[in-house]
Amino acid sequence: MNKTRSKIILTSLTVIIAISALYVTFPETINAQLEGNIFATHSGGTITTTGVVIDPVYTTTTDPEYTEATVEFDPMEYLREFNYGTVSTLPDGTTLREFTIIAEDDQIMEVSPGIFFNVWTFNGTVPGPTIRATEGDIVRINFINNGAKSHTMHFHGIHPAEMDGVFEIVGGGGGQFTYEFEAGPVGVHPYHCHVMPLEEHIVRGLYGVFIVDPKEGRPAADEMVMVLNGLDMDFDGENNFYAANTIPFYYQNNPIQINTDELVRIYVVNMVEFDPINNLHLHGNLYNYYPTGTSLVPSTFTDMITLSQTERGIMEFQYEFPGKYLFHAHKVEFSEKGWVGIFQVTDNSEDKKLAEKIDHGS
Amino acid sequence: MEVSDKKQSKGKLIASGIIPFAFLIVLVVYIFGPGSDVLDLGVPLPEITMEKIDFLDSEIQVTVRNTGPIPVVIAMADINDRIQPAAVEPDGFLERYETALVRIPFAWNEAEPYRIGLTIEDGTRFEKEVEAAAPALQPTLELVGFFALIGTYVGIIPVMVGLLWLPFIKKISKNKYHFFLALTAGLLLFLGIDSIEEALEISEENLAGSFNGVLLVTTVIVLSFLGLYYAGEKLVKKAVSSTASSRLSKPIAVALMIAIGIGLHNFGEGLAIGAAVGIGSIAFSTFLIVGFALHNTTEGIAIAGPLSRGKGLVGKALIGKLVALGLIAGSPVIFGAWIGGFVYSPFTTVIFLAVGAGAIFQVIITIMRWIREEGDKNFSSGAVVTGFAAGMLIMYLTSILV
Repeated sequence: MNKTRSKIILTSLTVIIAISALYVTFPETINAQLEGNIFATHSGGTITTTGVVIDPVYTTTTDPEYTEATVEFDPMEYLREFNYGTVSTLPDGTTLREFTIIAEDDQIMEVSPGIFFNVWTFNGTVPGPTIRATEGDIVRINFINNGAKSHTMHFHGIHPAEMDGVFEIVGGGGGQFTYEFEAGPVGVHPYHCHVMPLEEHIVRGLYGVFIVDPKEGRPAADEMVMVLNGLDMDFDGENNFYAANTIPFYYQNNPIQINTDELVRIYVVNMVEFDPINNLHLHGNLYNYYPTGTSLVPSTFTDMITLSQTERGIMEFQYEFPGKYLFHAHKVEFSEKGWVGIFQVTDNSEDKKLAEKIDHGS
Repeated sequence: MEVSDKKQSKGKLIASGIIPFAFLIVLVVYIFGPGSDVLDLGVPLPEITMEKIDFLDSEIQVTVRNTGPIPVVIAMADINDRIQPAAVEPDGFLERYETALVRIPFAWNEAEPYRIGLTIEDGTRFEKEVEAAAPALQPTLELVGFFALIGTYVGIIPVMVGLLWLPFIKKISKNKYHFFLALTAGLLLFLGIDSIEEALEISEENLAGSFNGVLLVTTVIVLSFLGLYYAGEKLVKKAVSSTASSRLSKPIAVALMIAIGIGLHNFGEGLAIGAAVGIGSIAFSTFLIVGFALHNTTEGIAIAGPLSRGKGLVGKALIGKLVALGLIAGSPVIFGAWIGGFVYSPFTTVIFLAVGAGAIFQVIITIMRWIREEGDKNFSSGAVVTGFAAGMLIMYLTSILV
C-alpha cells in the first residue's frame, strides 16, 4: 500500500519536474529594474521606462569598442560639403579638376541607431562625395575599385561614349579607370555605378551628386545638397528607411540652422529606388524651382515638387520669419520612415554682415 | 571474497555506464570550446517571435522572445510599418530564448487592425498582425466574477446536467449500457482530437518554430497519458483490493479518472475562452455560451456512464459524490478562464491543452477496458459500434454551435 502511494508521488513529482524544466528552458518572466528613464514620443507624450529607449536619434562613431560600423558619416557635414578637386591649369588655360574616387563594397554603416547595414561606397560614405566643377572645366576622375565586385562611375551629363561608365567595367581588387570629360551642362546631376544588376549596385549606396556651376556663377547663398534616398534592409524590394542624406530622422533630431532673409539653395537629387516617386514639401514658405538646374530662370514657385528616379533640381528660398519649419516628403509614408527634417530659422539681421562674409562660391 | 567481487563488478558497472557520458561531454566541450570554429558553416539567421501584444492606455506592449540560433538586439519598433520611438525593458539585447518587453507609445483605436513590427540590429524586420485591438484585461473583481459566471455556465452546470442522466442509464439493459459507455468513449475521442487541434493551432500562430510545436504537443500528450495511466491503474487496483465497505469502489474510481481527464481538458478550454476574450478575437455572445453549454453536457454523460454500475450507491452519499465529480470536471473552466484572460501565455496554453488531450486518451483506454470486462470481450457488438459513432457525431454537431 505505502509502496504504491510513494510510487504515485514519485510519478507526479517526475511530471512536475519535467514541466518545470520546460519553463526553465523557456523563461516566461521579465526582470526589470526600478529606476526610470523618461522619453518623449513623436506626438509629444512622455513615457517612463526601466529599460532602454529605442528612438532613431543618430550619433556617429566608428570606435570598435562601441560599434561594428566602419563608415563614419555626419549628415550635417555632408550637407554643405562640396569637393572641387585638385585644381591645375592646362596649357590652353582650361581649369583641370582631378578627383580620386575609391569604390568599396565591404563597409558597415550604422544607418539608424543600432541598425547596421553592409553598404557599397564611393570614398567610404553613402552618398559619395559631392563633385563640383564649373561649366567648361576638365574633370578627371582617377577611379579605383577596391571592392570584391566590379564597379564603374556613370555620370549623367554630356560626354564621349567611352567615358559613360557602362561598358568599361572596372574589376574589383584594385581595378582602375580614368574618367575625363568637360563639365556640362550646367545643373545638378547624379553619378552612380552602372554594373548589373543595376538596381542592387545603386540601392546599396554607389551614388553621389555632380554639380556644374555656370561660368557667371549663381547669387551667393547658403548652399546645401540633399540626396533623397532609401534603404532596403531586408532585400524584399521595398525600402525600410527613407531619408534626405541616408540617415532617417537625422535633420529632425538635428535641425538645419539657417538665417532669416538669407537665400538658401538646395541641390536636390532623388535616388530612391523601388518607389516610383518621391517629393519635397517645404513648410511656411515656397521655393523657386529650377528643374535639373539647367536654366537660370526658375520654372515654378511652389512648396511641393514630385520627383521620379534620378530626377533632380535646384530649390531657392528665404525665410522671413524665424522659427522651426518642417520639410519632408508629402508621400507621408516616407516621412514616417525617416524622410523628414527641420529648418531652424534664426533672426540674424544684425549679423547680416557676418553672413555675407561666408564664401560659398568656388 | 565474494562481497568484494560483487563490489568490484558493481564499480565496473557504474564505470561502464559513465564512460560513454564522459566521451559525450568531451565532444560537446570540444565543439563549443574556444578556437573550434571548424564546424561554423553556413549563415545562422536571427529570429524573434512576438508572443503577446497588449493594448494599454495610449501604449502598445509587445512581449518578444529571441527564438533564433544567435543573440539579437532589438533596435527599432514600428506600427503599421511606420517607425515609432519606443522603449525596451530590461534592454534590447536578447540571448537565445530570452524575452523582453517593448513599449510603444501609440494612440490606438479600438477594434482596428494593427501590424506591429520590430527591427533588429541587422535590419531584419519581424511583423505580427492583430486583427482587432482591444484593451488588455485588468483583473478587476468585476471581471473575475464575469469569468466565474461564464465558467459556471459553460463548465459546471452542463456537466451537472449531464450527470442527471445517471438514473436513466442505471435502469437500462446491459446492451444499452454498453451503447452509453461507447458513446462516452466517442465523445472523449472527439474532445481529445479537438484539444490537439487547438494546441497545434496556438503553437503554430504564437510559438516560434524552434519550440517544435508538433513535437512539444506530442511529448506532453504522451507524458500526461503515461502519468495518468500509471496513477489510474494504481487507483483502480486500490479500489478493487479494498473491502466492499470502502468509499472507493471500482466504478467510482473509473468515474473519478474520467472526471479528472475532462477537468484537465476543460481547464484548457477555459484558457482558450479567457484568452479569446482577453485578446478580443471573439465577442462572447450568449449564442456561444449556449453552444459551449450543450457541448459540455455530453461530458456529464461520460462521467455518469461507469458510475451507473456502482453498487450500493444511493441517497446522499451518491449525490455528494456526483457533485464532487461534477466540480472536478467542470470548475477548471473558471480557473482556466482567469489564467487565460489575465496572464495569457501561449506556451502555458499549449502545455495545458496537450496535458488535457493526454488525460482524455488515458480515460478512453480506461473506458474501453471497462466495456471489455463488463461485456463479452468484444468491441464489435452493434451497441458499442453505434455508441462510438453516435458519440463522435453528437460532438461534431454540437461543436458547430461553438
